[in-house]
Amino acid sequence: MTLMNIINIIRISPILLLGLLCSCEKVISLDLNTSSSQIVIQGNVYDQAGPYTVKISKSVGFDEPSSYPAVTDAKVTISDNTGYAEVLSEDSSGIYVTSQLKGIPGRTYTLKVETGGQTYTASSYMPNAVEIDSIYNVKSDFGKLKQFHLLFKDPADTANYYRLIDFINEKAQNSMMIASDMGYDGKTISGTLLFSEDDLKSGDTLTLWLESVDKGVYDYIRTAANHDGQTASPANPVSNISNGALGYFNACSVRKKSIVMP
Amino acid sequence: MKNYNICFLFFFFFFQIHATTQQRFTVSGHITDAKTGEDIIGATVSIKEKPGIATISNAYGFYSITLPAGKYQIVSQYVGYLTQIQPVDLVQSAKIDISLNELSRELKEVTVTSQRKNENITTTNMGLQRLKVKDINNIPVIFGEKDVLKTIQLLPGIKSAGEGGSGFNVRGGASDQNLILLDEATVYNASHLMGFFSVFNSDAIKDLSVYKGNEPAEYGGRLSSVLDIKMKDGNAKEFGVSGGIGLISSRINVEGPIVKDKGSFIISARRTYADMFLKLSNDSSMHGTKLFFYDINAKANYKINDRNRIYLSGYFGKDVLGYKDIFGIDWGNSTGTIRLNHLFSDRMFSNTSLIFSNYDYRINIDMIEGNKMNIISRIQDNGIKQDFQYFMNEKSTLKFGLNSVYHRIIPGVVTTGESISLKSLSNKNAWENAFYISKEDRMLNNLNLEYGLRLNSFSLLGLGNFYSYDANGNKTDTVSVGTRQFVKTYLNIEPRVSMNYLLDANSSMKFSYARNTQNLHLLSNSTSGSPTDLWIPSSNNVKPEIADQVSLGCYRNFKDDLYEFSAEVYYKNLQNQIDYKDGAELNFNENVESQILFGKGRAYGLELFLKKKYGRFNGWVSYTLSRSELKFDAINNGNYYPAKQDRTHDISIVGIYELNKRWTLSATWVYYTGNAVTFPCGKYEIDGQTMFYYTDRNANRMPAYHRLDLGATWTISDHSSWSFSLYNAYGHDNAYMIDFRDKESDPTRTEAVQTTLFKYIPSVSYNFKF
Repeated sequence: MTLMNIINIIRISPILLLGLLCSCEKVISLDLNTSSSQIVIQGNVYDQAGPYTVKISKSVGFDEPSSYPAVTDAKVTISDNTGYAEVLSEDSSGIYVTSQLKGIPGRTYTLKVETGGQTYTASSYMPNAVEIDSIYNVKSDFGKLKQFHLLFKDPADTANYYRLIDFINEKAQNSMMIASDMGYDGKTISGTLLFSEDDLKSGDTLTLWLESVDKGVYDYIRTAANHDGQTASPANPVSNISNGALGYFNACSVRKKSIVMP
Repeated sequence: MKNYNICFLFFFFFFQIHATTQQRFTVSGHITDAKTGEDIIGATVSIKEKPGIATISNAYGFYSITLPAGKYQIVSQYVGYLTQIQPVDLVQSAKIDISLNELSRELKEVTVTSQRKNENITTTNMGLQRLKVKDINNIPVIFGEKDVLKTIQLLPGIKSAGEGGSGFNVRGGASDQNLILLDEATVYNASHLMGFFSVFNSDAIKDLSVYKGNEPAEYGGRLSSVLDIKMKDGNAKEFGVSGGIGLISSRINVEGPIVKDKGSFIISARRTYADMFLKLSNDSSMHGTKLFFYDINAKANYKINDRNRIYLSGYFGKDVLGYKDIFGIDWGNSTGTIRLNHLFSDRMFSNTSLIFSNYDYRINIDMIEGNKMNIISRIQDNGIKQDFQYFMNEKSTLKFGLNSVYHRIIPGVVTTGESISLKSLSNKNAWENAFYISKEDRMLNNLNLEYGLRLNSFSLLGLGNFYSYDANGNKTDTVSVGTRQFVKTYLNIEPRVSMNYLLDANSSMKFSYARNTQNLHLLSNSTSGSPTDLWIPSSNNVKPEIADQVSLGCYRNFKDDLYEFSAEVYYKNLQNQIDYKDGAELNFNENVESQILFGKGRAYGLELFLKKKYGRFNGWVSYTLSRSELKFDAINNGNYYPAKQDRTHDISIVGIYELNKRWTLSATWVYYTGNAVTFPCGKYEIDGQTMFYYTDRNANRMPAYHRLDLGATWTISDHSSWSFSLYNAYGHDNAYMIDFRDKESDPTRTEAVQTTLFKYIPSVSYNFKF
């Protein structure tokens, strides 16, 4: 458990515990303003074989159906710090894919999107990969929940940032888990995952992706994950894309490990 | 000519030019409660033969009036007590201690007309609300606990931070802008269990004064208010035990004489057991949960001789929250003061206090084998305060003194198991000094003026590294400073002026101006505040906050002082206010000062108050219309935007009805406009998850809050009673939090969901007294 996570749990628990004593929830209708449609860019480059995708869409108003219009016919370029550049082709509406590009750790990748008369750029450094040492099941302290511990060894002497994504039977669950090596530089970092009995049944496959990311992506996920209403002033996550685009560009090394539920 | 005028004013301030044709003598002494011996604070002492001459007993019950030789009748009055008239033939200075008898229920009705009750008309202190603990006895409150902090929030200008909120806001100020003093020691976190209870056990409290920003010069350090709470001294005449047993908490109070009429002590303790209910839950995972608090108030005092009296006060409280051995957090305040009253003469009163105050929290985590972690964070004050009160003559009183405090802040010390190596954050040390001088003059017969100056100096000291940052939060400079060397010093002058003009016997007008500065700032980025919020001192990056407030009020008593009415308007200008960057990292961040934005603010409003003071039915109505705004270059394009605590309307209605000798019923109704919040104005998708889009900060409002509380007290005898209360009696769904998420029934749409905390919460408690 990293310090960030610990502190967040502790900040939220008193309210949760007290709220459990007496609270109730209800759906309400609010009169919310609608802003103009914003451009949303999400792109990834991995150290595994491609192709890699960049997804470009637009935001909609709160009360509208959650189908987000794709941005088509944009000019999307990914280049790296060695001078290599590639223009992506539009595979399907709003989804742009690479053809030749192979991500190499140590390089800095730049994304450039030109659409609607605007240019959006982002830069992301791909750190070296970090292997997952193990995932194992433990008896949970929290009653009937299923608890897993994850261990991986942090490389010493560099500032490392991680993002974890868990999949149950190939379906992504939570992609907003992050860790940094603050206090754990060069040591083994451990994480705890909890699932309810309904979510993870016997025979299900739990897969974990450990992405080594740079600070820009780490800050994006950290600020995006605070969307639980607990902050005094919710704001848009700190994006590493310029010109007011929402979303992020992530060049990362990824290692995967799976475990089958007994 | 100019120089001559300045000199004249200077001398006028310090010397009073008065005719000395007659010998003048001083009548002085202490005013106490006849039954318990407790000092009475704020009792009015006046001279029947000299209308317009009056003084009030100070925080230790001491009064002093200097008069020409002659025969007089000294009239002592205090609300709820029988007026006492003492004749005196003043041929030499006399020491006259006065003990007042509390009005019994029957006498209350009969003698009410002879009381001089126009206290609100004549006192200079505007924006001063004085609350006696007796006043709050019948007001229903959640979980049945009498709570002084909850009760002051029913007065105009003082607003709760919201349900589950641990602070309160005075005249649009942030919740860290209130100076809360318990027997002169600062209390840093005045709430238990996220604000559901305050740390003040009303069994131990005698008197509570609230100043809404225009306090006299002897107070300083926070911008928006001063809450000066005085503990009871303990019954100096006989032993007594009292207490109560309730559904959620219990309390006990023991007091008595150390030496009859010379010294006494009081010890009050309470504990909740909210977690007992969790143990009964069906969900076994709740069984390991710990959730409780306890606190202890203790005080002793002793009259060494006629001129010297010593007091020892202490408070210790703790909140505990935990789950089995896996994690635990506890937090709490402890305060201690040693005070010595000394009478240099019958006109010169002095008090010397040694003050200690500590607030800390501890986090213990042991989730995974070998991964143990303990974090301690604290703020500790050690200080000395010297106050003089010089009763110059019947028209003037001079107060002056100094206050010196050493602040020590430990933002976080970490001790860990082997598999973690976390560096503790660097400690902060500061030395704060203040010198004040203040004079109260009664000019003509109907103008009371109180004016003074407070000089404040705040120095940030080493040992440590001090950084400078650019606009993007990157370090631009590091300065290494040795132990107790000065890093940065701020000097501020705070003028205070208060004027009270009596229009007639029943009405007055008041004007006041005050400047306040604040050098300790609470960093809090959550909706309701958390016990782990960090206090930071002013530094090379953080300037002192400054507030200038003017207020104007008119006061009127009706129907032979049965009704009290006041209307006050205020305007407050704030500088060096703090807000946070988007995505600010405040937790455990050595460079937390790089996450802060600075700007200015303003607050203004109208406060109306109507109170029926006596009778079987009594109570009050208070209404506040106000606005509180901030202006930061980096937020909302540099335009003024509402502060989180901005509340347009705030209404409180309190009614107490004495049905008969046994039953008293009460009801409280509150209504207020919701806080300013930021709601989404769009949505988009990232990694298959719905994300919400925000533009302007605080452009939306939470829904209006209102609730009714009912209470009843059944007095069985002088020794026992039952209290019943029902919180949120008509169960209005007040929004504690509003979340946005995908619709559960239809994930292609999104919805807003509101969480309500408390509805229909009953409480029963049994109270005893021996």
